[in-house]
Amino acid sequence: MSVASWDIEFDGLIKRFGERTILNGISFRVARGEIIFILGTSGTGKSVLLKTLTGLLRADAGRVLVQGQDLTYLQEEAYLDVRRKCGMVFQHPALFDSLTIEENIAFGLQRHLGLSLEAARPRVRECLDLVHLDYDELAELLPAQISYGMQKRVSLARTLAVQPQILLFDEPTTGLDPVTTKQINRLILELSRKLQTTSMVVSHDMDCALEIADRIIVLDQGRIIEQGRVDEVKKSPVPLVQDFLAEALAGHAETTSSDSGGGRP
Amino acid sequence: MIMALQEVGRCLRFVAEALDVGRRKGVSGREVMTQIWKVTAQSLGTTALAGFFVGAIMAVQFALQVKAYGALGYLGGLATSGTVRQVGPLLIAFMLSGKVGAFTSAELGTMRVTEQIDAIRCLGSNPFREIILPRMIAIFVASFALLAAGLLASIGGGILLASLFAGINPDEYVRHIPTLVAPASVAIGLFKCAVFALILASICTFKGYTTTGGAKGVGRSVVQTAVATMVSIVIADWLTSVIAEAVIEVAMAARGEG
Repeated sequence: MSVASWDIEFDGLIKRFGERTILNGISFRVARGEIIFILGTSGTGKSVLLKTLTGLLRADAGRVLVQGQDLTYLQEEAYLDVRRKCGMVFQHPALFDSLTIEENIAFGLQRHLGLSLEAARPRVRECLDLVHLDYDELAELLPAQISYGMQKRVSLARTLAVQPQILLFDEPTTGLDPVTTKQINRLILELSRKLQTTSMVVSHDMDCALEIADRIIVLDQGRIIEQGRVDEVKKSPVPLVQDFLAEALAGHAETTSSDSGGGRP
Repeated sequence: MIMALQEVGRCLRFVAEALDVGRRKGVSGREVMTQIWKVTAQSLGTTALAGFFVGAIMAVQFALQVKAYGALGYLGGLATSGTVRQVGPLLIAFMLSGKVGAFTSAELGTMRVTEQIDAIRCLGSNPFREIILPRMIAIFVASFALLAAGLLASIGGGILLASLFAGINPDEYVRHIPTLVAPASVAIGLFKCAVFALILASICTFKGYTTTGGAKGVGRSVVQTAVATMVSIVIADWLTSVIAEAVIEVAMAARGEG
């Protein structure tokens, strides 16, 4: 694969917080259009990895490249372009409480592109359509007036508004019920294919990984302990990966038994 | 002690960064106005109420003393002078610290732990421009409006108590206010108010912005804001009094020489 076709590259990335090393020599590359899934238990540095891509956190050593651009010595101001290319969907919906849904989605368009709210309106409508939400119903509401699952989708619409080429998802299904989780997973898959974006999803949800990933990377204590295509990872002998797979299977079994159980007595 | 000094250093660096962003990128006038309105509306009632009772207390305290000298006519002037110069600014600062300081710290802390501040950066803007500077400016500006409201209420409280307990009518109470409330007292009151507002605005935004550790972290930031602002304001009160007295002395000496 040619150099230009790598959208994301980590090369020996090290990140420390005080004495604690969170990421210890992470190296991998993500091809254009690929959906890569970073799997790991809590506190293994998955979210930190995403944040080094958008400059919310800086690497202590190693290199991070986005579409060939080295971010190592980039100043805060120079990150504007990178942040437009890499749209981040946060673990929390992170919607601005005092702004309406429409103003939330238009926020990036106004700041990145200098559009007025009126000029941004058609794009806001389009983005709400993309995440299967109705503009007329939601535009004037405040985030607190809609459900958590809807807030997650509005957050995704806000990220999509500036047409990023790379989508970064930080624990996209945390705190959601199984049905909404499935909807969000499908949405990630659908949008990545439809908009031809490269997607990097960080989660501890193996089920989600099996459903949407092209490739899975498993982190443990700041290091990569397994990586490969979904079918390869499924055969992994690594105990942690086995645990994740067992958990996913148990989840499936539970869902199946409750589906066939005939409902409530 | 060293940790406290380090924290002061970090707070000063935070303020310097906010000012630098303001100089380079400006600040949203609409957001500043919204915040001024919020701060004023949040605290006007409590400040006026507290001011009313402070005026009443000052009137009762001074009444006992001036009555002995048969100078009850000067009660309004003396009580108001004390309030303008010392009690008013301190009272407003404490009121704002309890209400606006804690609220701002909690609001920014929540924005931090729910990643709204990171979202602002990712969506092409600067959190200092969007949320920090408007709040700092609003607290500073609203302090003066609240000081004025508190002082007016304190005169009201003084008038009521003076008429109820000392039999002084309102006209008599306010007659000597212009004579006894010297321009220097007003200047000192305004100076103190400005210093206290700067301290409060800096500490509560800094503590909120640097919150870590979820809901518990937000709670910790609010408590730290309350403690740090109260202690800093009391120290600043002493310091501004010393500075103001020194300036007045120098000015009077210069006038005497002239």
